Amino acid sequence: MSSSKTIFVTGATGFLGRHVVNQAAAAGHQVRALVRPSSSASVLSPAEATGNLALVRGDLASRNGLTEGMQGSDLLIHLAAVKGGDYFSRFSGTVIGTENVLACAREAAINDLVAISTFSVYDYGERRAKSTFDESFPVIKDPAGRDEYAETKLYQDELYQQFAGEDGRHMVMIRPGMIYGQDELWHPLLGGEFGPINLRVGFKARPPITYVENCAEAIVLAAERLVDPASTHQLDDEVINIVDDDLPTASEYADKVKALIDVPSSVPVPLPVMQAAARVGAVINRSLFDGKAKLPSIALPDQVDARFKPFVYSNEKAKRLLGWSPRYSLDEALSRSVGQPAGV
Amino acid sequence: MAKTLRTAVIGAGAISLEHLPFLSTSHRCELAAIVDLSPVSAEIATRKFGGVPYTDVDEMLDRERPDIVHVLTPPHTHGFLVSKSLAAGAHVLCEKPMSPTAEEAEKLLAEAAAAGRHLIENHNYRFNDEVLALREIIDEGRIGAVREVDIRMALPIRDAGSRFADANLPNAIHSMPAGVLHDFITHLSYLMIDLAGVRHFERVIAAMSNHGGGDLFTFDDLDALLISRADVAGPETDETPVHGRIRFSCRTSPDLFSLTVRGADGEASTDIFHPHLDVVIDRPGGPQLTPIVNHLVNGVGLARSGARNFGRKLLQHTPYHGLVRFLDQTYTALGADLEPPVTADDVLSAARLVDAIVAAGTREERS
Repeated sequence: MSSSKTIFVTGATGFLGRHVVNQAAAAGHQVRALVRPSSSASVLSPAEATGNLALVRGDLASRNGLTEGMQGSDLLIHLAAVKGGDYFSRFSGTVIGTENVLACAREAAINDLVAISTFSVYDYGERRAKSTFDESFPVIKDPAGRDEYAETKLYQDELYQQFAGEDGRHMVMIRPGMIYGQDELWHPLLGGEFGPINLRVGFKARPPITYVENCAEAIVLAAERLVDPASTHQLDDEVINIVDDDLPTASEYADKVKALIDVPSSVPVPLPVMQAAARVGAVINRSLFDGKAKLPSIALPDQVDARFKPFVYSNEKAKRLLGWSPRYSLDEALSRSVGQPAGV
Repeated sequence: MAKTLRTAVIGAGAISLEHLPFLSTSHRCELAAIVDLSPVSAEIATRKFGGVPYTDVDEMLDRERPDIVHVLTPPHTHGFLVSKSLAAGAHVLCEKPMSPTAEEAEKLLAEAAAAGRHLIENHNYRFNDEVLALREIIDEGRIGAVREVDIRMALPIRDAGSRFADANLPNAIHSMPAGVLHDFITHLSYLMIDLAGVRHFERVIAAMSNHGGGDLFTFDDLDALLISRADVAGPETDETPVHGRIRFSCRTSPDLFSLTVRGADGEASTDIFHPHLDVVIDRPGGPQLTPIVNHLVNGVGLARSGARNFGRKLLQHTPYHGLVRFLDQTYTALGADLEPPVTADDVLSAARLVDAIVAAGTREERS
């Protein structure tokens, strides 16, 4: 284990954040977890049991008390983002929240940042299907007009880059693929709602999945290496994608999940059919409605590409720079997700 | 020829997304600046809609010298921002509620009058298609003299995910005299004044309640009865009292914003969230056939509304569509030095009705 550090974590009780906090505390780091004033922190009980956890009560929508709570921390892991609601809820929670936390980090003299981004910022239409998908993949150039999640995460990335460009600051940006785990086994990458019907799109694509505990471990490793003078320069300003090894096809994953939990019944649709339908819809929208018609996201060409187009995902950079490899295989991860011992 | 107005927006929050598309595309204005305390909010808003980003209102007013300022910040900040903008020589269009009390509204309107500028509160729903259709039915005398107006709104303000229900970050509206009801009560009041044709209700009986309990909400329910004249009795005349009912609930679904106007000769109703128009009046065919004709006419109308509303949903013709009409008429009037469609008297009358309802509601709650 590297030397103990004091790590400030936002989004600490979230799906990914709770594992980051618990793993960092178990690794011997002092963790300050930002938790909203009236939210329960019971999911952090493993961290609490280590004696390495301190809760900081606050909300990223306001800077009140944030700087004080961050004082003395060695680095910031910023996980908080809003995934639901209308555009402004997402903008407020993700973009203004990031602006606030980075402003307070500056005041608290925190120079090191592990910034959590997303695969949603990549421009999936730019490359041919089945090509290698790594950190050199192009990012969406014009955020406006994309779905609200991608748009707000792109603005968040701009704020990260601004912070990283300031003197004396270091940042590593982590982009996890589709994170799965307990209560989060079914995912939009497998399909989506179209009116009253659930569609499952594509069969042979291998979605860029990562099990939540595997992903959390990569983030903790990134934090340790970023503040370690011996490896800071290797990570500084780097973007690292996180996907697991031996990715299953969408059908294989869906079948394994179906064997464990009840999932919504769905209509299978081949990817070319969905892509053609989305493109016809886009042409009709442009020609008849001046592009103003609001269609379900699953019927938008860029969304169909982003969610279902097959690529060969690489995690070579994560392994090389972080010394990470996914601890749990798919079967082990699924077993852990449903509370069964591995192999059952 | 109408003048093109230089416009500045203060506040790049959620409601600005309803104003800015008009301001960035209308030939009646030039969007000069967007101010927000959050630099990234101002920056992204100007990137999308135009203008120069600012985080300081004084600096913006000094440099940009706007002809009109839209004040779109949380309600408790309206007063001093309106005053600053008027002092800088700008007309002001302020989101509702402009002020917590009628007294404060009166003070701001006096500042505007002294500066020779217009101070306009956003009364957007008056300009929705359905409300204008109701207004036309009334004006044409199709339902006779208006006797009753019933306005009901139902919104799930206490449900998880509601911007009002977040105990971690209490919405600023909770600090207004009617609590969260103050977010809606201005709409309900100006619509009542407009449809009833009554500027002042002499009798106001109201119950404001906190049925859901807890400390976050002061009130979550409103039931108000308004009567225009307190002491008029005798045969029907122009002085015959008009009754109004204003109801807000968070405990019924679906979302609702219904308006019903009952006249001496018939009634007309619509719903701003689910647009349609029902008109029940004397029809050709006499008393025997009138109910059937009303059913047929309104049934056909309802079916047509269903088809139209599907198209509206597809094309995002939202309940906010009246705002664009309101802004267009306002800019047209101001550009030609004419009276804007929402007058100082409209603003003050609505503020006074809100005051009367809140006073009656809190009195009832105390007793």
